[in-house]
Amino acid sequence: MDRKDSPVVDVTERAQALGAGVTGMAAGFAVTLRNLVRSLPGRNTVTIQYPEQRKPYSRRFRGVHVLTLREDGRLKCTACYLCATACPAECITIEAGEDPDSAVEKVATQYEIDLSRCIFCGFCVDACPEEAITMSREYDLATEGRRSRLQYDIDALTHRPEIVAYGAGYRPHMQYPLVESYLPTEVARSSSPDDSSDS
Amino acid sequence: MPVVTIDGLPISVEPDTLIIQAADRAGIEIPRFCYHPDLRPEGNCRMCLVRVKGFARLTPACTTPVADDMVVTTAHADDEVRRASRGVLEFLLINHPLDCPICDQAGECSLQDFYMHPDYGLHHSDVESREKVRKRKAIDLGSVYLDSERCVMCSRCVRFSNEVTGAGELQFVHRGNHVELVAFQDRALRDPYAGNLADLCPVGALTSRDFRFKRRVWFLHHAPSVCAGCSTGCNVRIDYTERGIERVVPRRNPFVNRSWMCDEGRFSYQTVSQLPRVTTPLTREGEDLHPVSWEQALACARGAFSLPRRGEAAVIGSPMATNEALWGLQEYARNMKDPVALEFRSTSADPDVEARLDELLLHADRAPNSRGAMMLGMGASDGLENIAVRAEQGMIDLALILHYPPVVPAGQPDLDRRVTALARLVRHARFSIVLTNADEDWWHAADVILPVASWSEEEGTYTNFNSTTQHVACGQDPPGEVRPAWRALLDLLASVPAARRYGSAQEIFDRGVAAMPAFDGLRFDTLVSRHATVYPPEGRTSYGQEGFAGR
Repeated sequence: MDRKDSPVVDVTERAQALGAGVTGMAAGFAVTLRNLVRSLPGRNTVTIQYPEQRKPYSRRFRGVHVLTLREDGRLKCTACYLCATACPAECITIEAGEDPDSAVEKVATQYEIDLSRCIFCGFCVDACPEEAITMSREYDLATEGRRSRLQYDIDALTHRPEIVAYGAGYRPHMQYPLVESYLPTEVARSSSPDDSSDS
Repeated sequence: MPVVTIDGLPISVEPDTLIIQAADRAGIEIPRFCYHPDLRPEGNCRMCLVRVKGFARLTPACTTPVADDMVVTTAHADDEVRRASRGVLEFLLINHPLDCPICDQAGECSLQDFYMHPDYGLHHSDVESREKVRKRKAIDLGSVYLDSERCVMCSRCVRFSNEVTGAGELQFVHRGNHVELVAFQDRALRDPYAGNLADLCPVGALTSRDFRFKRRVWFLHHAPSVCAGCSTGCNVRIDYTERGIERVVPRRNPFVNRSWMCDEGRFSYQTVSQLPRVTTPLTREGEDLHPVSWEQALACARGAFSLPRRGEAAVIGSPMATNEALWGLQEYARNMKDPVALEFRSTSADPDVEARLDELLLHADRAPNSRGAMMLGMGASDGLENIAVRAEQGMIDLALILHYPPVVPAGQPDLDRRVTALARLVRHARFSIVLTNADEDWWHAADVILPVASWSEEEGTYTNFNSTTQHVACGQDPPGEVRPAWRALLDLLASVPAARRYGSAQEIFDRGVAAMPAFDGLRFDTLVSRHATVYPPEGRTSYGQEGFAGR
């Protein structure tokens, strides 16, 4: 079999170039020493002080989901269940109901993602025909209890403060702007139906 | 018999068979919207066009009868037919709103199925959504919702309303692009069979109100069953999920219900799921009934066998019970010392299982298995009311009662009499064992309560008004510690010598029920595979064909 086609990396030649015994060891430690010097305080460190310091993630990062809204702040999702159908972890629970707006007809009255089961594959976002669900770049989900915080309902998926803090993540066709869908950050919270019912 | 060749496959069929029926029988798919096996063919949707050799033009397969040596090619084998079918589908989709995400038909929609088929669909549409003709949506017509935009004008609903039920409540108005299905002034349909319109509609124009937005159909599991609402025994399919029964739809059986069922039966699953249940066995301790384990309850009930008998024993069945459960009661009676009163009727008169409420399906007898109980010889005494009188005279030592409340609430004059008689019997019998699925007042004086499965929770057979024995599948798990009635009865028998121990409804049917002369020759697996078997009653040899030819 031709070596070039092989997925195995052959390091024989590199090892021989480094030499055997003390020479090879010295060459190896030189790398260690070089990085040690590089990462001395005040210089360009490899390690960062997480969680005070954080690295920026890709715009395509698949973090916790976001349900998008209509222009007037109502939920975009019409409960077609394509996300729940596509979900390999079966972590999406939806209940559909009659929308007060007869032109919309159907709306999700309950939408829950069990993030303790979610594998962040993004299939739900790919399946959605209306960009009603996208992802954010939120990634730190650690909680103290399994049941306490990892079941995200409609309110958490639309109006949690982390969406602003982390920013929008993956959705298909990212090169185009959202069509008739708005990220919760773009729609004023005060116009959401939850608030109007409270007042 | 004429032999017709469809796509190169010779098929021998009766004269006057339509091409589409011959193709269906041979398993060759011909797409259709307006054709329905239980409605008169109209040939208006043009989706089923086929080429018949020698005909100048393509012809609809649903209106053309076969002739000997006819050679037919379908869209699967003929480019011109394929082009025509694709054209017809493209036309039908011109004004379609493509609102599948909010449409309950999605997943069982002919438009979706045909569009995804390479021979009829997958065309590129040049019609933009702003150019489409908009029509009225989400019109509440009582048991169904009408969405005129999704309609393909196949007229199945109009024909059903005119031909089958005679209600005549639907009509098309306007012309061309603007044709719309309407009910007079959008009034709620009064047809007691209107629920069928949702099943009948090949697209999402008529959808069920009860099932509206409940579940996407691809999440449903199916169990073939039989409606327990009356003695007709309409074949149904129970669609259920882990939450329970989501809907019940008719299953085609040309000999019993064709493709229809009444709305009362359709929604009877709600009565079943809302029933206050008894889910653990109960035994009497002094004044009160206390929950116990099955073993304790069975031991307590078996103890009644060994009590010295002075009077009579009463074994009371129910016309709501399966043949298997009734057979279990009989087995119990056979293993007891005489005298035993075996009964399921309120009075000494047999229920009139053949009395009809309308000309289509409904029967006056609101129990699915009165005929089965009669055929099994359950009515061997002088009626429940007379047994209750004897109980009041202290002549009944032991009462074993199997009772289910009816699944349709309406029109049951007999029910009150039955429950009153049962209450008297339970109060005055020396020891009474009650098998039931419902938490009801009348049995609070009983000594042992055994919780049994409701309709849809156990497998078994029902025998309908004309002696057709049909298989009922299990559509959901029973709640709590509930057991199927046949299981509970066999458990009760376990200590009795000579009792036959069968492990399944099938075994009881094949070795118990089918051994009775009235059921001679029936096999459980045939009932299952055919979903229903026609058992000709005495003096009539071909009920099935007679029933089928009637419509």
